Amino acid sequence: MTTTTPQAVLAPTRARTAADSPTARRRQGFQHGGWFVAPFLVLFALFVIWPLLRGVYLSLTDANISGDGAGFVGLDNYREALHDQLMWDALGHSAYFTLLVVPCITVLALLLALLAHHIERGKWLWRLCFFIPFLLPSTVAGNLWQWLFNPGTGMVNYLFGLDTPWLTGTSYAMLAVVITTLWWTVGFSFLLYLAALQNIPAHLYEAAELDGANVWHRMVHITLPMLRNITGLVIALQILASLQVFDQAVVMQDFGPGPEGSTRTFVQYTLEEGFTSYRVGYASAISIIFFVIIAAVALARMWLLRNREEDAR
Amino acid sequence: MGRPGLNRRQLITGLGGAAVAGSFGFAALGSGADALASDAATRVRYWNLFSGGDGYNMIAMLDAFRREHPGTEVKDSTLQWGSPFYTKLAMAAAGNRAPDLGVMHLGRVTGFSPGRLLDPWDVGLLAKYGVREADFNPALWKRAVVDGKLYALPLDIHVQLCFYRKDVLRKAGLLGDDGRIVPVTSTEEWFDVLKEAKKATKKGLQTIGLWANDQNFQWWFFVAFYTQLGGTWFDAADSDVTFDTDKATQVLEFMRRHITDGYSDPGFAGAAGAEQFLNGSPFCWEGNWSVPVFDGAKTEYGATPLPPVFGKRATHAESHSFVLPHQSGRGGDANEAAHELAAYVVRHAQQWAAGGHIPAYTPTLSTAAYKKLEPQNEYVSAMDHQATEPKVWFAGSTGILAQRVGPIAASSMLGSARPEAAARRMRSTLAELLAMKNPMDGRTAAQAGAAA
Repeated sequence: MTTTTPQAVLAPTRARTAADSPTARRRQGFQHGGWFVAPFLVLFALFVIWPLLRGVYLSLTDANISGDGAGFVGLDNYREALHDQLMWDALGHSAYFTLLVVPCITVLALLLALLAHHIERGKWLWRLCFFIPFLLPSTVAGNLWQWLFNPGTGMVNYLFGLDTPWLTGTSYAMLAVVITTLWWTVGFSFLLYLAALQNIPAHLYEAAELDGANVWHRMVHITLPMLRNITGLVIALQILASLQVFDQAVVMQDFGPGPEGSTRTFVQYTLEEGFTSYRVGYASAISIIFFVIIAAVALARMWLLRNREEDAR
Repeated sequence: MGRPGLNRRQLITGLGGAAVAGSFGFAALGSGADALASDAATRVRYWNLFSGGDGYNMIAMLDAFRREHPGTEVKDSTLQWGSPFYTKLAMAAAGNRAPDLGVMHLGRVTGFSPGRLLDPWDVGLLAKYGVREADFNPALWKRAVVDGKLYALPLDIHVQLCFYRKDVLRKAGLLGDDGRIVPVTSTEEWFDVLKEAKKATKKGLQTIGLWANDQNFQWWFFVAFYTQLGGTWFDAADSDVTFDTDKATQVLEFMRRHITDGYSDPGFAGAAGAEQFLNGSPFCWEGNWSVPVFDGAKTEYGATPLPPVFGKRATHAESHSFVLPHQSGRGGDANEAAHELAAYVVRHAQQWAAGGHIPAYTPTLSTAAYKKLEPQNEYVSAMDHQATEPKVWFAGSTGILAQRVGPIAASSMLGSARPEAAARRMRSTLAELLAMKNPMDGRTAAQAGAAA
């Protein structure tokens, strides 16, 4: 960044003391700030770092659910995972879900935010309508759409005069989960977009209008570029959340894996291996694999964004 | 999760959860205090997985026990059915926090590490409270014995049934003089029955609901018909697969034909099949636990075991049974009271039969009260021709076998795999499972062979 901070401007005017040396300032900074972040660090270590390390250890054993008799098996679990078709299928289902949800939710959230931003009458009602599904627990959202998609008595087929096996057809079951998720979670991204829209300075639009820019031009040259950062955030959050899809999928399929396992996601498969088949060691191994995949996606996204920021500089 | 990281709602949910958990803690303290304050000398902690109608019936039976045994306090807890229940039971037993009495599906007992997570029953104590081996169907009792010791006390068997609408079948001329469905002994006869029934069926309804896309039901039906054909799974030592792909293909083709001939609509799979039955669809293949549902709807119906289309009679059966989760210091009054309670419930299962289950305690079956129960008296013969999963560690209700092989049966049913290809996949999956080690004790089915 090339901007100058107020502190940097003021600093030379003060007399330098020993306390101002960088090391001392860092130490002092920790003394003050350290206590503020300590509770977080303790919880983070306890509930994230420790389980992660424990998971890595378990993944190298043949531990079962009862917790005793675990033997060290080295990389056997990882070797098995590489040839585990069910695991690859589950990964494919999670990836497919992510590929469908992320673009749809981004576009939908933007459109809804634009609508709610520009509409004059009953503004609060629109915002409430778009956001309120997000407040529902996943079980409620899942059950609700399970009824709506019911082939015999559901409203979806009835309203649109369809005969689609939403929950029972292999090619529709995941689509039903996607539609449910869009309705249920779009509110969060919608809210992010709405906040960002309200932060775009009005004078930009006024200036553009004076220059004769029409609605389309204003959208393409002002609104979308100004929303670029928030779009990046929405996409990143959605990718990470969608890869971990679980609850709505299992609720809609009565805790089963869907027709021919077509809605069995990676998280569900891990749960099945660990808690149904009691193979805690193997479940740990595949969850570590999943952790690496998600971390790689997150890092790749950061790297891409950093390059873009550097380009923009 | 399907949603971004921690947000306000999740935080509130989390706090709410903590509050609820906290209140459970206090509730537990409360009941502990109650137990101390009450006159009861002995306290039996009992975990079960019965909700809905079964839960209602179980509680009624427990209340009857409490009235007759004021010296024993029964602290029953109903937990979520299926895998979560088994997970909790295993962890409680491993951590030496196990309840005095528990319930399991009989098929899961072999894989539940008898001797380490389960304690054997004291057959002498059971006899003292009126329950003996002679009172049970021999095949059922044998399934509960591992390594020569009794690890499960069967309460019932529950079976897959062919429910039929008497009003529709009467119209189709398919009801005999006794008011029951005409007998069926071959696949051709069965499809003739469906053909006639279809003619009498209201428009918009399928002829038969059979959970076409459900891996559990498809697996259960497969087990039934494969057993009717005399099919076997593994050799006596559990070291070789004896699964017969020709017989399996025959079964899968038979099942698939319900869809290709237009008798079952895969779109109406799942619970929609039962809804259609209540709306006038002539047939529905369902578990016997649907009896209270259909009774409640005042439908004129009957229920037989699955039709013996391959000649021999056999219908899929599982069994709820009582188990003693492992306690390091098992014994004493609580253990004896657990034996007494289990024996009492098993002997007084008339109430349980109302939920559609067939009581395992055979003297109940010959009582006048049981013989009067309809349609229970029509399918009670299922006790004598149970088709069950093989007795190996990976079998049993919602176990690994069902999880791995069930989807293959379902894919053949829905037409995405050809029956013969599905049969071959079933065979190779069975071979994989046979080679797999039981995570609980690190032994394969063959290595555990002596124990079974």
